Amino acid sequence: MPEVATRELTFAQAIREALAEEMRRDSRVCIFGEDVAEAGTPFKVLSGLVEEFGRERVMDTPISEAGFTGMGVGAAMTGLRPVVDIMFGDFLTLTMDQLVNQAAKVHYMSGGTWKVPMVLRTTLGATRRSAAQHSQSLHAWLSHVPGLKVVMPSTPYDAKGLLKTAIRDENPVVFFEDKMMYKQKGPVPEEEYTIPFGAADVKRKGEDITIVATSSMVQVALGAAELLEKIGVGAEVIDPRTTWPLDEKTLIESAKKTSRAIVVDEGYGRYGVTGEIASVIAEGAFYNLEAPVKRMGAMHVPIPFSPPLEDVTVPTEQTVFEAARTLCGKG
Amino acid sequence: MAISVVMPALEMAQETGKLLAWRKKEGERVTKGEPLLEIETDKAVVEVEAPGDGILAGVTADVGAVVPVGQIIAWLVAPGEKPPAMAVTAAPAARASSSPQRTSAAAAVQATEQRVALATQISPKARRLAKELGVDISKIRGTGHEGTITSEDVQSLAQGEGAAAPPGMELLSQVGRLMAERTTQGWTSVPHFFLVRDVDCGELVAAQTRFRQEMEKTHDAAPTITDVLISLLAKVLVKHTRMNSSWTGEGIRSNPEINVSVAMAVNEGVVGAVIHKANTAKIAQISMLRRELTERARAGRLRPTDITGGTFTLSNLGMYKVDAFSAIITPPQAAILAVGSISDRVVPVDGKPAIRPMMTMTLSSDHRVVDGARAAEFLSDLADAIREPEKVL
Repeated sequence: MPEVATRELTFAQAIREALAEEMRRDSRVCIFGEDVAEAGTPFKVLSGLVEEFGRERVMDTPISEAGFTGMGVGAAMTGLRPVVDIMFGDFLTLTMDQLVNQAAKVHYMSGGTWKVPMVLRTTLGATRRSAAQHSQSLHAWLSHVPGLKVVMPSTPYDAKGLLKTAIRDENPVVFFEDKMMYKQKGPVPEEEYTIPFGAADVKRKGEDITIVATSSMVQVALGAAELLEKIGVGAEVIDPRTTWPLDEKTLIESAKKTSRAIVVDEGYGRYGVTGEIASVIAEGAFYNLEAPVKRMGAMHVPIPFSPPLEDVTVPTEQTVFEAARTLCGKG
Repeated sequence: MAISVVMPALEMAQETGKLLAWRKKEGERVTKGEPLLEIETDKAVVEVEAPGDGILAGVTADVGAVVPVGQIIAWLVAPGEKPPAMAVTAAPAARASSSPQRTSAAAAVQATEQRVALATQISPKARRLAKELGVDISKIRGTGHEGTITSEDVQSLAQGEGAAAPPGMELLSQVGRLMAERTTQGWTSVPHFFLVRDVDCGELVAAQTRFRQEMEKTHDAAPTITDVLISLLAKVLVKHTRMNSSWTGEGIRSNPEINVSVAMAVNEGVVGAVIHKANTAKIAQISMLRRELTERARAGRLRPTDITGGTFTLSNLGMYKVDAFSAIITPPQAAILAVGSISDRVVPVDGKPAIRPMMTMTLSSDHRVVDGARAAEFLSDLADAIREPEKVL
């Protein structure tokens, strides 16, 4: 974090500022997607960009995720640096061939002749009452594929710095924003900065238990850490910030120090990001662990529309607190 | 139907709990899971949730009262329903009980307690540290989740904190501690009396040999004398329900099932592994289950159901060449049968000395539940069954 940061931005403003700065800096940067121009996306993240950069660089597309993602891959291969906007992460399913078989493979299969410097921005996260087809967190699918980098910022500061890095990266990057965080405020300095991929951030220091959390689950973990402090348990909250590349060293070192770890992620618990990170910790810190590494993800169900049901489908401050207390032998 | 609210047992050595506060007033509606009362044990203050839905009624414990664990302190009733007139209360001793009618809360606690005692876990870090520091793991009492031994436990023992005991004194394992508690409780709270009986085991041994020959082929089972005794015992108990009953403090409760607990030696003490409904099980089933229980007991992997619900205990020290011994009752069971080895002795048969395979049985009984005559009738029927096992089996 910057030493002096008096200015506060929302998460959405930080994203918009990163895009605007990169578009001013590099005329090859352009945006494709549904309702990205005058509408500025349903989340109003891109408001104002079309006014500054025009319809040639902020381009509304037909409702065809497979089509315009493919357009993005081609544009990136032929010299542009497109930022493709997929409104809901659930619609990633339509882009899978372009991402998995094209974007992720082109550099390798062309022997390094072609590259795909494309960013695909999309959303994740439940509890917005958007029902089963608009509430999923499918980042594990893409973290599984070699050739893609996957970014999951948790604060406005990280969002801006990581998005600028993503746009400048020579490889395809999938950038996940939790739609519930767009209005969350945080310090963002005026001056230029970027954040490297594969560098976890310790959001809170602690000695008794490590809570690894991604995206909006970082806030949940920090809330749980506050509750834990009241019962004398010091929780260290670590945000990997990118699921690939993954900063294994920071995670393992923290777990070795605290001897206990929980991994919290809003994707499905089964075969998910939590399982991967928990394994990394178990393999790296096994002989320093006092307890099994605990995974906490979404329940293995379609995300319910019913608010009371939806709220218990994903981890909460209270459930993380209870799990941590049990692991520490205090519950 | 009215739901009882009992003083729960939350810890291993807890006999009583102090009522700190009622969170609901008498007559107030309560829903399951809502905080109902707050209690204090010697280690912590705990909030207790309502066990069901209903209206709080029949509160018998006031704030500040110290109440034995397992005792009913209130009821949750339906609108218009009156709480049961005589609240059945359990003696403090009931905490360690395995009575089938105990409250589910107490059962859960007991199950946890015993699981902790029998299957001690150790964390990877603690195991590594114990090796590095040369600490004997079996001397450590775990303080982590569900009794897991943590590296702190290892370190405190290595630094001599955990081992505050004077030199030459052995620290108790959890099994050892539990055995000490249970036997002290049984011996000091139950008025024991003992009946001794010698019995001719010629037919018993013959029956066992026959079973073994048959079942080795059909069931992959090899029944032991203990297995046949469990079966005979359970079948004789069907007629003698009083021997299969429990003292409750208020009266005598007859147990609906005949669950024979078999005393088994493990590393640091003895555990009672239970053959549930032994009276309805075939010899082969008993034999296979008893063998499984023995293996799990030796590996320290007995499950809570393996050691709960026993209504009568059989303890056989025959394999140690013991002739006879007297055993301590495990409350709330009313009796325990101690059997020694089967050995050739000279006894009169038809007025002449003969050499017969004899066994001495010692029946310990709770005098609050049975008297000498009643226990003698049971022992006599059991002796008949052993003399002529084919009639019973």
